Amino acid sequence: MKDDKTRHTLDGHQLALLNNRFDGIVRAMTNTLLRTARSAILNTARDFSCCILTADHEMLAMAESLPIHVMSGPDLMAQWMVRFNPELRRGDAYLHNSPYHGNSHAADWTILVPVVDDSGRHRFTVIAKAHLADCGNAVPTTYSAAARDVYEEGALIFPCVKVQEDYRDREDVLRMAQVRIRVPELWHGDFLALLGAARIGERKLLELLQEMDGEELAAYPAEWFDYSERLMVDAIRRLPSGETATSGWHDPIPGALPDGLEVGARVKVDRDAAQIEVDLTDNPDCQPCGLNLTEATARTAAMMGVFTGLGSVVPSNAGSFRRLRVHLRENCVVGIPVHPYSCSVATTNLSELLANCVVRALAGLGDGHGMAATGKASPAATAVISGTDNRPGRGPFVNQLWLGFTAGAAGPVADGWLTILGLGAAGFLRRDSIEILEMKYPVLIHSEHIVRDSEGAGRYCGSPAAQVEYGSLDGELTAVWLSEGTNYEAIGVQGGENGCLARQYVRDFNGELSEPLGTYEQVTVKPGERVVSIGSGGAGYGAPRTRDPDRVARDVQRGWVSPERARETYRVAVDENGAVDAAQTATLRNG
Amino acid sequence: MATRLTFAADTGGTFTDLVVNSAGGAARLYKRPTTPSDPVIGLFDSLGAAADDMNSSVTDLLERSDLFVFGTTLATNAIVTSSTARTALLVTEGHPDILLLREGGGRRTLFDYSQEYPEPYIPRALTFEIRERLSAEGEVLTALDERQALEVIARLREAEVEAVAVCLIWSMINDSHETRIGELLESELPDVPYTLSSRLNPSVREYRRTSSTAIDASLKPLMSRFFRHLEEELRSNGFNGRLLIMTSSGGVLDAEHVAETPIHSIGSGPAGAPVAGRRFAALDGGGMTAIVTDAGGTTFDVSVLRDGEIPTTRETMVGDQKAGYITGFPSVDVRSVGAGGGSIAWVDSGGMLHVGPMSAGADPGPACYKRGGDRPTVTDACLVLGYLDPDYFLGGEVEVAIEPAAGVIRRHVAEPLGLDLNEAASAILTLATERMVTAIEEITLNQGIDPRRGLLIGGGGGGGLYCTGIAHRLGCWPVLIPSASAALSATGAMLSDLRATYTATELMSARVFDRERANAVLDGLHAQCRDFCKGPGAGSIRSVITFAVEARYQEQVWEIEVPLARPEFASDDDVAALVESFHDTHDALFAVRDTGSDVEVLTWVAHVSCSLQDADSLKPPSAPGRSGAGGTRRAYFPDLGVIDTPVHQVQDLETGRRYPGPLLVESPVTTLVVDARSEVACSANESLLIYPRD
Repeated sequence: MKDDKTRHTLDGHQLALLNNRFDGIVRAMTNTLLRTARSAILNTARDFSCCILTADHEMLAMAESLPIHVMSGPDLMAQWMVRFNPELRRGDAYLHNSPYHGNSHAADWTILVPVVDDSGRHRFTVIAKAHLADCGNAVPTTYSAAARDVYEEGALIFPCVKVQEDYRDREDVLRMAQVRIRVPELWHGDFLALLGAARIGERKLLELLQEMDGEELAAYPAEWFDYSERLMVDAIRRLPSGETATSGWHDPIPGALPDGLEVGARVKVDRDAAQIEVDLTDNPDCQPCGLNLTEATARTAAMMGVFTGLGSVVPSNAGSFRRLRVHLRENCVVGIPVHPYSCSVATTNLSELLANCVVRALAGLGDGHGMAATGKASPAATAVISGTDNRPGRGPFVNQLWLGFTAGAAGPVADGWLTILGLGAAGFLRRDSIEILEMKYPVLIHSEHIVRDSEGAGRYCGSPAAQVEYGSLDGELTAVWLSEGTNYEAIGVQGGENGCLARQYVRDFNGELSEPLGTYEQVTVKPGERVVSIGSGGAGYGAPRTRDPDRVARDVQRGWVSPERARETYRVAVDENGAVDAAQTATLRNG
Repeated sequence: MATRLTFAADTGGTFTDLVVNSAGGAARLYKRPTTPSDPVIGLFDSLGAAADDMNSSVTDLLERSDLFVFGTTLATNAIVTSSTARTALLVTEGHPDILLLREGGGRRTLFDYSQEYPEPYIPRALTFEIRERLSAEGEVLTALDERQALEVIARLREAEVEAVAVCLIWSMINDSHETRIGELLESELPDVPYTLSSRLNPSVREYRRTSSTAIDASLKPLMSRFFRHLEEELRSNGFNGRLLIMTSSGGVLDAEHVAETPIHSIGSGPAGAPVAGRRFAALDGGGMTAIVTDAGGTTFDVSVLRDGEIPTTRETMVGDQKAGYITGFPSVDVRSVGAGGGSIAWVDSGGMLHVGPMSAGADPGPACYKRGGDRPTVTDACLVLGYLDPDYFLGGEVEVAIEPAAGVIRRHVAEPLGLDLNEAASAILTLATERMVTAIEEITLNQGIDPRRGLLIGGGGGGGLYCTGIAHRLGCWPVLIPSASAALSATGAMLSDLRATYTATELMSARVFDRERANAVLDGLHAQCRDFCKGPGAGSIRSVITFAVEARYQEQVWEIEVPLARPEFASDDDVAALVESFHDTHDALFAVRDTGSDVEVLTWVAHVSCSLQDADSLKPPSAPGRSGAGGTRRAYFPDLGVIDTPVHQVQDLETGRRYPGPLLVESPVTTLVVDARSEVACSANESLLIYPRD
């Protein structure tokens, strides 16, 4: 911990007051973005994040932002902002989505607003980051897995470009987006929502400075970081020391990654030094496809793996991050990418795979630690859909669906969180409303339900999969998905079983299913045809036959587990009323 | 002839409050403990207290009454404790997991993977799929398969369900399938109550509508039984008047009506507070923008008044704020945080102080109750600081001691933080106050109100302890403590109008606006309002009908309510005025105005309210009895230390004179703390007003 004798110190209660205040400001930003955005991916699914950085670019407050958006990245982007624009002025706003300068991936558009006080000093940076419905890619998806490089990917890249000066738009920049983004009006509404969120954050921070710009406020970041570091030290000391390496496989993608790809992490816990190191350097070089991670998402993958598997709740900010060392290397598929390799899919596939390697590595330290692997991103029920809406007053549309994605991994004390939607979303991303989707787009969501016997069996279970069937109401509907986990399932730990594989099909007019479709597909269905999506399920923790029989009985009652599977996998007998048959169960389990 | 009486009662978590208003005379308030097993007992206890005070009998009082208004947390409690009816849910085929999957979310803390995923409100085993499907335009894509529906109903009979909820996709656009299922249920299961979503809550978003429908159906058996029991007890004790129930929308409805849609009784108590606040703001504050607070034993409730209006929210949760059940219904926007007298203060392993959300509750209660409480609470802190009188706690009803309070604060807060006892107690109070401030900021922000423009109304038994601190922090002056502050909800129930809201869903763009169609929709709503006035509203002294639309920019999905000056679009100028008014409202709320975008109206709204009595004639109620002794007390104030602090009895204050702090003002039910930076005055209405000192 930094030791500065001259520094003003805050007591525990001043710390709590300011912490409430900063989190409250982030929530105000979030509220503005949610309520004013136009695309379902933002106003319903909430695929966006807001945060506040200190003037020296350290993460101060992220409230309930999505980990993959903010744990690392905002810090790097703010550094680039200052490097490119040494003189920051009040009224400036910067648009930044460059994967080579600290952003997560090109579809995550970020607005940075430097908060400049009355004396002209840069005091904080507020950041609003949103996953756009479209970012100008060659293919109508924001996840171009097969793009050989950034040119083929086609996304419009803004490496920290000034879009407002003196609070006025620089219209020339906006015109560039207007001609390159599908459904430009919708995009403009979403852009306004992003800008509004950042400006609301700026306004509230300026109010805070007006109200209490003094020693206390100046001391807060360092004190808050020290406090968070202390909690992190405590948390690490609850783990055993050890070093483990784990790896996992990504599905093959024809034309881009024909043999699939294995990536891994080496995790070292040093209990005495209260330090965790994650080494990602022993991995393949950048690949000619869209799966390369960015510096931000490679580092974040390691960080969120550690925070998820830690078993204690520690505030995630620059203070707790001091106890974490992540080793990356240049030109690595899970490291620092080199231009022009494409990073189109940097926020989901390999980042989830890596984060899961880290939580599994922590589980390898002993029963009671870490977690099983979460189901893989992102089933066909989360495809980017596009087409033309023939209803009066409508036209072309594009949007990412957020349905039928369960995937929660089992941990040492609880079953998987059903709607986790990946570790990077941590259950804070929302699901679509079927009615809102059908109102906004010419789609029909025929069904969405849990698939029986698809859970990752264990003492604690990974989430079962959801099956979703959707199609077009009128006209053709194009869906592009990147359904990882079609070939390799999420891996269980401590005797827990793996999650189920993802599957996807097209169902024809007669109700017949097609042959199973691949991980990365672009399909177009006509009215009457349906896309069928079954997501990848979460994995289990601990041996299934040690699961609490009452939990098994509950799973049978709610139709998640068949009585046969209860018997065979869990060694639990359930009677016709759905209650545990204790005598039979004892026989089964002792046999 | 004896004076006619009106009663209003609120059964809260700890106390049952009763306000008795006598025609032409003063109103009085009484407080007795709530009896959770049968709330009617606590109600009759408070009626007994009124009878004693008025030298009369309960029967005599009830015989003299025309009107009894009742607020109750019974519905909320039934849901939280899972004691509602065995309820089945019928949904569109293919969608049996709507209540399970929710809208996502529900997690409380980012990396806390020990939280279990919430169970659906109705289990999967009691959820049944019905073969049918409508489109977003209401077109029938799959006709209702009646034979299959009858098979499902036969299974409901076998499963011995006690209530049925029906929610089909797009039923609010076309209710024919739901209506037909309702007919089948009536003929096949005539004794089982049911709820149709299209009738209860015709709004878009299937999860929220299904949740409303399920909750409503599940409450029907219990609530109709309870209202029958309440009415029988009142009638058999001489009551011959009309029984009204406070609803979550801040109005009242006849008990038999609420028994039909019992979801409206959720939160019926707290909804009264802003209604009372509005009356007191008008009497003493002048301004009509106010923050109404109600500080209880375990929670602090906040609501706001915007230009005299009581804002509503569609996101009302029962139980946990993140993982609980959404009612899907507009209700008076009351935010509740777990910060009250019983909230426990603790220091975590990193050395940060927290207050709440855990509470010592009524049992064991704070350490000062000497009933085994071994963690410091906010009440303990107030006692140590000298703000509360140990010899006259809660009007002398509860015996307390300072020593155990001081001991636990020293051990759990002062020592870990390296503070002395008074500093530690003061820190606990300040942090509790800050949590209240955060709650106020969140709700005012959400409603687009600057708290500094609002009057702060301090209600609840603990309001006087926190409100000066809150006002300093937020800069909202003056603070108003009405004489009825200890029973805001019951007072609000007394003041409430009969109220109903009618809505119609019809998407219309401002650019291709069909005035004829819009006028027809508004005419339909107007007719429903007039029927209400002629029905339940018959005999009211005044009725008001207002109209509004819920609108958005094209492609947004969260509408904002914009009032309509009149229910008619006579020319295109009226349409242009609506659009302009939408831009203004959006700008005020979200600092963005998008004049390039089309504006879409989704929902058409008519509010009707009928006043049964002249609220302006109601005098603010006061509690009988006296408080403790006056003189001075040793009390701690930050910056001043422990000083001899003057203690005034509220009835001894001279009207209009300003008393500079530091001082304490006591009444039979509350204590007000005025620090050195503030001063207090008593108004002609016996309210206390606190001002900052220059």
